[in-house]
Amino acid sequence: MAETQPADLTADEKRRFQQDALPLLDSLYAGALRMTRNPADAEDLVQETMLRAYRAFDRFEAGTNLKAWLFRIMTNAYINTYRKKQREPKKVSSEEIEDFDLFQELKNHDPDINRSAETVVLDSIVDNDIIEALDDLPEQFRLAVLLSDLQDFSYAEMAEIMDVPLGTVMSRLHRGRKALQKRLWELARDKGIVKTPREAPGSEAGDNRGNAERTGGPGE
Amino acid sequence: MKERCREVLQRAYLFLDEEVLSIEERTQIQVHLDECAPCLEHYGLEREFVLATSRLKGRDECPQKLKAKIQTLLEEA
Repeated sequence: MAETQPADLTADEKRRFQQDALPLLDSLYAGALRMTRNPADAEDLVQETMLRAYRAFDRFEAGTNLKAWLFRIMTNAYINTYRKKQREPKKVSSEEIEDFDLFQELKNHDPDINRSAETVVLDSIVDNDIIEALDDLPEQFRLAVLLSDLQDFSYAEMAEIMDVPLGTVMSRLHRGRKALQKRLWELARDKGIVKTPREAPGSEAGDNRGNAERTGGPGE
Repeated sequence: MKERCREVLQRAYLFLDEEVLSIEERTQIQVHLDECAPCLEHYGLEREFVLATSRLKGRDECPQKLKAKIQTLLEEA
């Protein structure tokens, strides 16, 4: 029960925490939901984060970024607690991701594309597809993409939150975004929005590899 | 792909995120994108994908029940 001991904060600190941290609950919950990928765990994670943060608030440096500080606490709580009881996300080898180039994929798919390339896939994507694709990403890539593109943290803030060097942030974000593109391309293909390339004379062996990867997905 | 195109596309996310690159590097990339149609198209695709993800922002709000619960817990703590 030591966890629920009253926090040793001054009255002013208590007031400041309520005033400054409570308005960040929507951001924290949205982040928790993409970390844990289910509402029940997200609620537990947010609650635990807020209690941990409250107890540690005397160590928060006033004037620094409170949202980043809270996300650092939440990321640690997620990694240490919630991750353990969750299904392992699909493993994606980094080589597959580095190799993926959606632009080239679109050009190979249909060299005569006369609309601008991005509309082909992007027009077909709905929010739920992006959520599904994001939830499928390996954890470290998922964290990088959600911190950057859903929470607008800078690279330096992400380095603090994930406790890794800036170069690692850059590499995880790069690979996370590429993996997201790849997954969305596969979803669009699975839904029949884009047809798999015709067996054309001189078509490259690369297509076969792409299909083989796809069959490795989880079978819901 | 030309070496210059490769360099520019490798830095596409840094350019997009307005991170790390110096003003000179940003200017050089902008000049290349203005001159090289395939790179501009490729960069546009990367940007559209990031924007598509960003559109999910503000979609999930913290349930009111949880907000109230946390407020109570903090007052009791």
